[in-house]
Amino acid sequence: MGNLRPMGPERWWVLVFLAPTLLGLLLGTFGSIFATLGISFTDWDLLTPATLAGISNYVDLPGDRLFRNALWNTLAFSALYVPATVIISLFVAIGLNRRIPGISFFRVAFFLPTVSSPTAVGLLWTWIYAENNGLMNRIVTALGGDPVSWLSRDVALYSVVIVNVWGAIGGGMIIFLAGLQSIPKDHCEVAALDGATPWQRLRFITLPALAPAMFFQIVLTTINAFQAFDYIYILTRTGNGNSTMPTLVFSIYRTGFRFFRMGDAAAQAVVLTGMIFVLTLVYFRLQKRWGAQA
Amino acid sequence: MKHLTSTALALILAAGAARAETTIDFALWGSPEEGEVWKTIAAEFEAAHPDIKVNIEVADWDGYWEKLRVQVAGGEPPDVFAMDAPLYPDWQSRGVLLNLQPYLDANPSALDGVYPITLEAYRTPDGLFGLPRDFQTIVLYYNKDMFDAAGQSYPDDSWSYDDFRAAAARLTLDANGDGVKEQWGFWAEVYDMEPFWGPVVWAWGGSPVDPAAGTTLVNTPEAQAAFQFIHDMWKVDGSMPSEQELAQYGYDGFLAGVAAMGFSGHWSVPEYAAAGLNFDVAPLPIGPAGRATGVNSAGFVISADTDAPDAAWQFVQFAISEAGQAKLANIGLAVPILESVAKGEAYLGQPVQINQALFVDALDYAHMKPVFRGYEEWSSAVGDALNLAWSGEEALADALAIAAEDGDAALAKNQ
Repeated sequence: MGNLRPMGPERWWVLVFLAPTLLGLLLGTFGSIFATLGISFTDWDLLTPATLAGISNYVDLPGDRLFRNALWNTLAFSALYVPATVIISLFVAIGLNRRIPGISFFRVAFFLPTVSSPTAVGLLWTWIYAENNGLMNRIVTALGGDPVSWLSRDVALYSVVIVNVWGAIGGGMIIFLAGLQSIPKDHCEVAALDGATPWQRLRFITLPALAPAMFFQIVLTTINAFQAFDYIYILTRTGNGNSTMPTLVFSIYRTGFRFFRMGDAAAQAVVLTGMIFVLTLVYFRLQKRWGAQA
Repeated sequence: MKHLTSTALALILAAGAARAETTIDFALWGSPEEGEVWKTIAAEFEAAHPDIKVNIEVADWDGYWEKLRVQVAGGEPPDVFAMDAPLYPDWQSRGVLLNLQPYLDANPSALDGVYPITLEAYRTPDGLFGLPRDFQTIVLYYNKDMFDAAGQSYPDDSWSYDDFRAAAARLTLDANGDGVKEQWGFWAEVYDMEPFWGPVVWAWGGSPVDPAAGTTLVNTPEAQAAFQFIHDMWKVDGSMPSEQELAQYGYDGFLAGVAAMGFSGHWSVPEYAAAGLNFDVAPLPIGPAGRATGVNSAGFVISADTDAPDAAWQFVQFAISEAGQAKLANIGLAVPILESVAKGEAYLGQPVQINQALFVDALDYAHMKPVFRGYEEWSSAVGDALNLAWSGEEALADALAIAAEDGDAALAKNQ
């Protein structure tokens, strides 16, 4: 691989070609991260000059019921969504990692939600979840059950998790399929010859080999969970552009752009970023430890 | 390309003309059809003022406010833009609007014949920074076909809220007896106070909020009784669809033809007519404290940063003149603010033949929709809390206590 390393003047060309991306990253991504951090220490309403507010925006956050509610919704959602998405997409990938007729069809079918418009799909699910004559309740009543209020307060959390997991399986499946196909077939064949059961082959060969993909997928899914917005908003919106299940991202948007409180919105965004950052650190630690054991 | 060329030509011609042409941008929310009507108003204005050109920019409600915030914050605001009265203080208090008082003082007759209550929202100690262009009163809509089918007499001005509740219960139907209702007696939007719960609270002698004192009044004895009425009609009688039951029919139960009555403003008329509903309107029922409804106005403001304040003022003045108001009445979405137009053929002779005069007569017993800095945050905080009661997550008394507390917190943040 050593001969692929750029040498001499080539190095400068590497920099030149990477410049647009690096500049975009520097100004766009890091620029907005630092701008958000800066705004979070001010009171700014967009229309009049900002004034310094110290840490008051952070101090006020715990007392803001709309924020607390959004935080709780996001945490509860993530606790269900992350494990469900990772586990289900792993098993879907294992199931589809074989040569059977029509395999492409199934792979496309699982991937389809990933490339569909969340707004359109969200509306479709509104109909599926409808209380009277909705598809879900038709099935439930046909099986002799009582109709369920799928999007009522106590059930809505599970209903939106189902939709989001359904929408995320395709993306996870692709990552796991790529990981699975990089495992040499010989390993499993040898193990099978030695009398390993399918479960043992999964536990001792496939899963350890998938560890990097798994780690990547868990981090990505966690980030997506904390930033979840579109399906949830479409399924739980009320009049006036509000939602019966406001998430953190919704709260940030609403606080900043509709309530004219950019400083508070920025503080919420920093808290969200901080939570994702801490969780990712924890995952890194866990991966190191798990990686050392395997 | 053709368009570009002609624009370029026009620009060259304009530049060559002896008198420089002023262009003003007017931004508003609305449908593309409304945009077209505004273009005809602009054309008429341009014919009378050959040195001024008006650019109309229409966007939907959400897109409009988003774009406007960015434009104003970025220092490129439209010269004239549409304003909803409750949101006006958010903009006015931040110094981005032009004070119109000097123009009004120079033209003392400019506001002759304008319904005074529609101006109230725009008054500040320093004068008017905005003017109304039309108003909305809330009335009772009813579906004549559903009333006829049930043998129920139409609502009239003798109805009390008890009559209304009894009729709603009779008009709630599960014809095939499968336990699933196909028709409800009533539907209204319950999140914001404007269409339903505000008027009911007023009819019980309460009030939604006292912005000057920073107090949310949804937990006073009068408001509690009003909310109890809504709760009983909805959750005990089952005369209103839950959000769950309504979901499959869309957002508006009256529009979907599954609700026999509804509370709404004039904005619903074109939509209901286009849906082919056989409907008319009646006054809101009489409550324990008499008859009450709400009035809200949409208006215009001029940017404090405009390069052409005089041209912008000319345009606003034209739009609230008889000629402009008569054209606006044609859209059929609202009631004109000029008495001569609201009582004249342009408004009363609209194609949709319902009791159009009722929306104007309702001004006699109308309360102004609250107008204060932070309205949207207050409305969201109170609406979120009330939803706890409608979803059954909290008892009504607890939800009202939370709504009052959260509403007060929102008011305090916007002092």
